[in-house]
Amino acid sequence: MLVLTRKAGEGIVIGGNITVTVLEVKGGGIRIGIDAPRDKKIYRQEVYDRICQENVEAAQWNIADLDVVNPNIATTQMKKVVPTK
Amino acid sequence: MTNSRKINTRFGEVEYDPEQTVHFPEGLIGLEGLHDFIVMPNKKEGPLFWIQSVDDPQIAFVLTDPNNFFLDYRVEPDQNVRKLLGIEEHDACHALSLVTVPPDQKITCNLAAPILFAPKNNKAVQVILENSPYQTKTPLPSP
Repeated sequence: MLVLTRKAGEGIVIGGNITVTVLEVKGGGIRIGIDAPRDKKIYRQEVYDRICQENVEAAQWNIADLDVVNPNIATTQMKKVVPTK
Repeated sequence: MTNSRKINTRFGEVEYDPEQTVHFPEGLIGLEGLHDFIVMPNKKEGPLFWIQSVDDPQIAFVLTDPNNFFLDYRVEPDQNVRKLLGIEEHDACHALSLVTVPPDQKITCNLAAPILFAPKNNKAVQVILENSPYQTKTPLPSP
């Protein structure tokens, strides 16, 4: 990992089209500003990691469990539809 | 089926038409190499269906339309997502949720990172709803 020391008001440039600026250092938190092209997605690390983990967990399923679970789920739409059958 | 292909998935052999797959231009979050999925026909009635990765035969996901359970759940694609999906503002775009089915069968769906699907050209993008009240593990209502 590249480690740099920056002060408030200073920044770094990544790849010519992304700049990260330290705006303020206050009470244990650091406010940063990011300028990047609109198509670059920027997420808080813990949020991104949580989604990655959830996607991995979602891929671990067993078709037998799905067969059991699927007919047992009540949905608002099905509740309306089923009695008319 | 014309030009049909076969892959060996962990659920057995699946035959599919490469022109009918759903394409994820960016893959899924954390799984960026997964671009094409087969929508599997539902064997049993119910709100859940599954998609099988073409790129990795070991990977499949269970999906549902979250409006089956949460009537007011709406996710609109922003300009970037519409561009990735190749759609205009007036084109249809549906939010789908990835479902996690753990061995204890206490299933949850991920309302925090829905998949936006454009039926017009069979493209899909997973988005993260930051600063939203939605959870990655939202329990599905019990019967």
